[in-house]
Amino acid sequence: MQLTGLLWGGKLLKKVEFPCADVLGPEASVDEIKDLIKKKGQVFIKPIFKGGVGKKGKSGLIGKASDITAALQEKERLYFAKHPAGTSKADGVTFEGGVPAKHEVYFSLSESTVFRAPTMTITHHGGVDIEELGKDKIKEIPFDPLTGLKSFHIANALEELGAPSEIISPLVQHLPKLWTLYNNYGMNVLELNPIRMFQDNAGRLIPVACDFKCSFDIDDPAWKRLDLPAHLFASDYSEFEQEINQLRTYQGQSDVFVINEKGTITAPTFGGGANALVTELLGERATISSDFGGNPPYTKMLEISKIVFKYWLGQSNVLFIIGGKANNTDIYETFRAMADALRWYFQTYGPKPIYVVVGRGGPNLIRGMAYMKDTVESLGLPYRFFGFDSAMSEVVNYALKTDEWMEKEGKKQLKEKMGI
Amino acid sequence: MHKAGVKKFPYYVGVNSLAELATKDDKVCVLNILGNESKAVTPTSHEYSGGNVVFGTGPGRSGQALETKLGPIPVYNSIKEARAKGLKFNTAVIYLPPSGVKDGVAEVVRQNPDLKKVIILTEKVSIKDARTIRAICQANGIDVFGGNCLGVADAWNKVRIGGALGGNKPEESLVKGSIAIFSNSGNFTTTIATYLLTKGWGTTTSISSGKDVYIHFSPAEFFHALDNDDRSKGAIIYAEPGGYYEHGLEINKPTVACVVGRWKAKLTKACGHAGSLAGSGDDARAKEKWFMDYFGVKDIYTPENPVFSKKGAVVTNIAHIPDALTKVMELNKIKPDFEPKGDLSLKCWFGNSQGLKLPKELDALVVKAIEPYAEQIEIISKQLGAQYPRQSMKDASGATMMDAKTQLTKVYNVSLLDCSKKSLEENLVFSLIKDYPDEYGRTLANLAFNVYVNMHGDAALIAADAAREAESSPNTALASAIAIIGKGRVKHAVNEASLLLELFQHSGLQNATDKFDSAKILKGLTAEQKELFTEKTPHSAIRIPQSEGDKSVFIKFVKEAAGGKPSSDALLAAIWMTLGWSALMRRKISKSTIINLPWYSRIFSAFVAASVDSSKHEKDKFCGVRSQEIIEKWSFTETAFLALIGRKPTADELFEFSMLLGLLISNGPGTISAQGCKGGVSADGPEDPTRVQINKAFIGFLTHTGFAHGGNGYEAIAFLIDRFKDKNLKSPADKKHGLNLKAIADEYAKWYGKYKAKEKAAGNIEYMKVPCVNHPVFKGKAVNYDPRERFVNSLFEEKGIYNVFFDFYHNLVQTLFDNKVSENVYCVNIDAVIAVILLKMVWEPFKAGKISEKEVETAAFTTFLFGRMIGCAAEIDDHINRGRNMDTRTPASSCSFVG
Repeated sequence: MQLTGLLWGGKLLKKVEFPCADVLGPEASVDEIKDLIKKKGQVFIKPIFKGGVGKKGKSGLIGKASDITAALQEKERLYFAKHPAGTSKADGVTFEGGVPAKHEVYFSLSESTVFRAPTMTITHHGGVDIEELGKDKIKEIPFDPLTGLKSFHIANALEELGAPSEIISPLVQHLPKLWTLYNNYGMNVLELNPIRMFQDNAGRLIPVACDFKCSFDIDDPAWKRLDLPAHLFASDYSEFEQEINQLRTYQGQSDVFVINEKGTITAPTFGGGANALVTELLGERATISSDFGGNPPYTKMLEISKIVFKYWLGQSNVLFIIGGKANNTDIYETFRAMADALRWYFQTYGPKPIYVVVGRGGPNLIRGMAYMKDTVESLGLPYRFFGFDSAMSEVVNYALKTDEWMEKEGKKQLKEKMGI
Repeated sequence: MHKAGVKKFPYYVGVNSLAELATKDDKVCVLNILGNESKAVTPTSHEYSGGNVVFGTGPGRSGQALETKLGPIPVYNSIKEARAKGLKFNTAVIYLPPSGVKDGVAEVVRQNPDLKKVIILTEKVSIKDARTIRAICQANGIDVFGGNCLGVADAWNKVRIGGALGGNKPEESLVKGSIAIFSNSGNFTTTIATYLLTKGWGTTTSISSGKDVYIHFSPAEFFHALDNDDRSKGAIIYAEPGGYYEHGLEINKPTVACVVGRWKAKLTKACGHAGSLAGSGDDARAKEKWFMDYFGVKDIYTPENPVFSKKGAVVTNIAHIPDALTKVMELNKIKPDFEPKGDLSLKCWFGNSQGLKLPKELDALVVKAIEPYAEQIEIISKQLGAQYPRQSMKDASGATMMDAKTQLTKVYNVSLLDCSKKSLEENLVFSLIKDYPDEYGRTLANLAFNVYVNMHGDAALIAADAAREAESSPNTALASAIAIIGKGRVKHAVNEASLLLELFQHSGLQNATDKFDSAKILKGLTAEQKELFTEKTPHSAIRIPQSEGDKSVFIKFVKEAAGGKPSSDALLAAIWMTLGWSALMRRKISKSTIINLPWYSRIFSAFVAASVDSSKHEKDKFCGVRSQEIIEKWSFTETAFLALIGRKPTADELFEFSMLLGLLISNGPGTISAQGCKGGVSADGPEDPTRVQINKAFIGFLTHTGFAHGGNGYEAIAFLIDRFKDKNLKSPADKKHGLNLKAIADEYAKWYGKYKAKEKAAGNIEYMKVPCVNHPVFKGKAVNYDPRERFVNSLFEEKGIYNVFFDFYHNLVQTLFDNKVSENVYCVNIDAVIAVILLKMVWEPFKAGKISEKEVETAAFTTFLFGRMIGCAAEIDDHINRGRNMDTRTPASSCSFVG
C-alpha cells in the first residue's frame, strides 16, 4: 500500500504541520494555475500514479512551466502518461509551485533489518537517487522506537556529514514531526526527496517537501484513521486480490498474488515456505501465488476457495492443492471447505475438465483426503493425492507434467468422459 | 539501551548455546491459553514436554482450566493474579490476537522479573508493535522468538515451547540426532526435519524464526549458539528473500542453506511471509550469493550438479537438503545418526484416472501409505456416511444460510428460488438426503408419506382436537399431535432400517437401484431377523406393486426375507434405505440420519394429518377422498393441499402451492423457528444421537412459531380481503376480472396518504404500515424490486399464471408513489407473494361463505408450518450430526438483567 506524490502526501504532511510545496490537483482551473505561477514564478507538472512506481524525473515525466500555455501543454502531455518502468498509467497531473532554494535534502524513515530498529536516512545532497551517492555522503541512524526520532539524532548526523550549518537548525526543528506521522499512521517507509530549503522574507530557511512517498503496513490499522479514499490503493491490487483481501483476518493467512492471468495451474498453497517453493517451481504456469496456511476456519476457507475458483478454475487444467506436513492447520476442515467450494463451483458454473493433484500432511490428514476424494469422485474428476512423505518438489513436477498432458490431450479426453 | 547479554553482540542476546533454548527447566505461561489455536496446540506441547506449562491467562476466565493428559493447566485472569498465587515461569508464549500482542508482552515483562524468553505465535503483528516489543525486551534482557513463528523444540530434551512444531505427533518428526534447524517457515521446520530422516539425520534444536519484518532471534544468534552446542554437529538454515539477517554471518559448523523465492523479486507487495519482500540488495539471488561466499562454493547444489564444500552447500529446493547435507558431512567425516527412514519418492495415497488414458509417467499407482496412515485409510474406507466434527451449533448451521446482502436463503447450497420449483415431497426428501429424488424416488416418497396420512382413531388426532377445542393456535394443536409420534411409534421401522444398514454396509452396493445379488445376505439371515421383517397383522398398510418393488434392492430384499409378507415398518424402512443409500455411500449423510428417516417420514405425515380435525379422518377416507386413491395416485403436495383447502388442486394451483411452500422453507438458522428446533436437539444432547427425540425437536419448531412468526402472513391477506371483499371478484386467476385495479389502489393510496399525514401530525410514528411493500435491503432506487418477487413473477408469466392480487400489489406500489405517499416506487416484497398465492387458493370458498375469515387465517398459518417443516427437518438433522450437548445455551455473562 503505497502513496506517492504531493497531492495526497501534502495532506498528510499538513497533519503534522510540515511545510510542503503548494500543490493543485488535476481539477485546477486555468486561473488557479495562473495564480500559482504568479506566486511561485514557475510550476512543476507531474503525472499522478496510484500506488508505487519508479522515478518520474528519470523518465522525463516531470514538466516545468513559467507561463500558462506551457503549463497546459505539459498537462496534456502528462495527463495519461505511461510509466516506462511498469504498466502504470497516470490519472491526471498535479501542479506544484516551484520552491527556489540553494540546498536540497534527502530524508527517509524506514525499518532497518540491519539495526532491527526504525532508522533515519539523511543527506544534504538530496534531489538525486540515494543509491547514486557514496556511503560517506549518507547517514543511517537507528533510534529507539520508544522515544522516537529526536532533534539530536538529526543534529549529530548532519554535523558528521558536514552539512552547511545554516540548514541544521531548521531541519532539527521540523524533521522530528515526520516521526509523528510515520509512527502514528502505520507507515513503514516515509521518504521526502527533495526537501528544498526555502528562504523566507526574514531570511530564515524553511524545509519544504517537494515530493512525497510512503508505504503503509497492511497489518497496522492506524492508516485507516487518515480517511484516505480507497481508490488510492486500488491499483495495488487486482479485482481478485481485493476480493480476497476483504477476508483478511488474523485467523489464517489469505495472501494472494496474481502470477499469470493466463496460467493453467491453480494452486491453493498452504504455508509461507510452500508458497515460496511452489510458486518458484510452477513459474508462469501458475495463475496465482497463495498462502492459505495458519489454520483458517472452515467458513473462511470456503469463502476464499469460492473466490479463487470463481476467478481461476475456468481456465485451469490442474487444481493443485499443496502444502507440507501441517503443524497446526486442520486438514479435514480446510479440505472439506475446498471440496465444498469445488462442488459449489460445479453447481454454479457447470462442470469443468480439471485434474486434481494434492500433496499435503498434517492433523486429520486422512479424513480430509477422504472427504476430498469423495467429492472429486462424485464430480467425475481424475485425481492423485500424494502423502507428505513424497518430496514437495516432486509433487510439483507431477502437477506440471499433468498440466502439459491436459493441455495436449487430457482436457479433450476428459471433456468427452464428462459429457461437456 | 539494552541489558548485558552475550558479549559478542551489540544488542541483548541471552541464549548462548542451542542446548539452553528449550530445556526441561523452562517453565511456561501461555497468554490466551483458551484461544482456539492454543486450545488445540498447548496440550500436545505440554504432554510432549513432560508438563512444562505452569498456567495460562485469559481475561475473565480465572478458575477455568485447559485439560491435558497430564492434568488440567489452571487459567488466571492475569499474570499478576497467577504470580500472587506463587506461580513462577521464565518463558511466555503469546497466542493473543495481533492487536493485543504488544500489550501482552508489556504485561508479562512488567509482572515477571524472572522472564527470559517470549515466543510470539500470532500472525499479522504490525511492524510498529514488533519494534516496540523489541525495545521493551531489549531493555529488560529477554529473548524474543516470532511473531508468526511456531516456536522452538528440542528433540534431545523432548521439549517443545510455543507452537505446533511436529504437529499433533511431535515425536514423528523430532527425532534425536545431530542437526540443528533454523527456518523462516514454520511448516518447513517440520518438513525439513522429516526429510532429514530419509538420510538418517535427526535433530537437536529446531527454531521456527517466523518471517515478519522483525526477526528478533536471527541467524547471527543461531550460529553463535550452534557453535556452543556440542550436540549439534551441523545445521540447516532455510531462508527467504527480504532483510539482511543472513548477511555477514559467521558460520563455523557444516551447514546447508536453502534459499527459496527468486520469483519474489517481482513482488510489489508481500505474499506469504510478511517480511519476505525484498528491496534492492536482499532478494533470493543476493542471499544465495552470501551463503555461497560463506561456503566457498560457486554454484547451487542440485543432484545433477552437486556443488559443495566442507563448510556447506546452498540449495534452492528443500528436497535436496538431505542429499546435500550427507555429502557435506561426509567431507567432515561425520556419519548419519541412524539408518535412513523412508524416502522422498512420489507416493500416491489416493488416485483414480476416471478411465482416462494417462501417459505412463502420470499413471502413478496407489501405494500403501506409511503407518499409522495406512491403518487410518483402511478404517476410513470401511466407514460409512458423513462424519462431522462436533462443535457448538448455536446460531450456526450446516444446512441453511441466509445471505444478508441478497436476502436469499440457501438450503444445502440450493437457493430457495430453486427449491420453490420443486414439490413438497421432493423438498422433504432433499431436506434430509441433500439430493433431490428421481422419479422413482418421488413415487416411493409419496407412498411413504401418504400411507400414514389417514390417522383414523389415532390418539394424535385426539390430542390435536383437544388442543383446538381449548382454542390453542394451529401450531400448538399440531405440536400436541407430534408429541404422540415418539420413538416408540417408530421403533420397529428404525430397528429394521438399522438392520438393513448392518446387512448391506460392506456389501459394495452403491445405489439401491443398481443390479445387485443379495442372495448371500439373504442366506445369512437368522430366523429372528426374518421375523423382524414379517407382518404380524393380516394386512400390511403399505403395498408396493411387484414392478415398483423389484427396482429397489432393499424392497425386494425385505419382501424375500419376510417370505412375501413384509411388515409395513420393514417396507417403510426399505423405502427410506432406497432413497438415502446413495447419499450415505457418498458420505453426504450420516448413518444416524439414514436410520432415522422413517421417523421423520412419520412426522411429516402427521403434520398434514393432524392439520385437520379427526372428523376428516374416516375409516377409508381422508378429507372425503378414498385413502387408497390418495396412496396410489396422489402426490403428497396434493394431499397437503387437500388438507388445507378441502379439494384436489388444479395443475396451476399445484405449481403455485409448491412454490409457496418452497419459499417458506427457511430464513437461516437465526429465525425463531430454527432456533426452537435446534434448542430441542441441543437439550437432548446430540453427542449421543440415539437420545435425541426428533418429534420433540419438531415440537420445538412448532412452539417457536406463533401469531407473530408464521401467523403474520395473515395481515396481508386481511388487507387484501378488505380491498376486495365488496368487489365482484369471482376468480382471482381470471385476467378478465373486470375490476379497475388501478382505481382500487388509487383509492387506498389517497386514503393512506391522508391517514399517514394525520398520524404523523399527531406525533404517532407507530402508524399502520402498508403490509408487504418496501424492504430494508431493496430500497432507495427510483423503482425498487425484491429479486425474489421478480423471480416468482417471471415464472408466473412464463407459465401464463395470473393472480389478480399480485397484479393489484404492482398497481399499489406505483400509486403510492404517484400519490406522493412514498418517495420512490417501493418493491413488492416476498411476503406479498406468499399472501397473494394463499388468498388466491382460498378465495372462491371464502367468497362462497364455505370458509370463514378465521379458517383463512388458519390455512395461512398452517401453510407456513408445512413449508417451514422442510427447513426445520434439515436444521434438526444437521444439529444432531454436528452439535454438542446444550450448545444453544447463552452463558450467564452474556445475559443481562433489566429489572
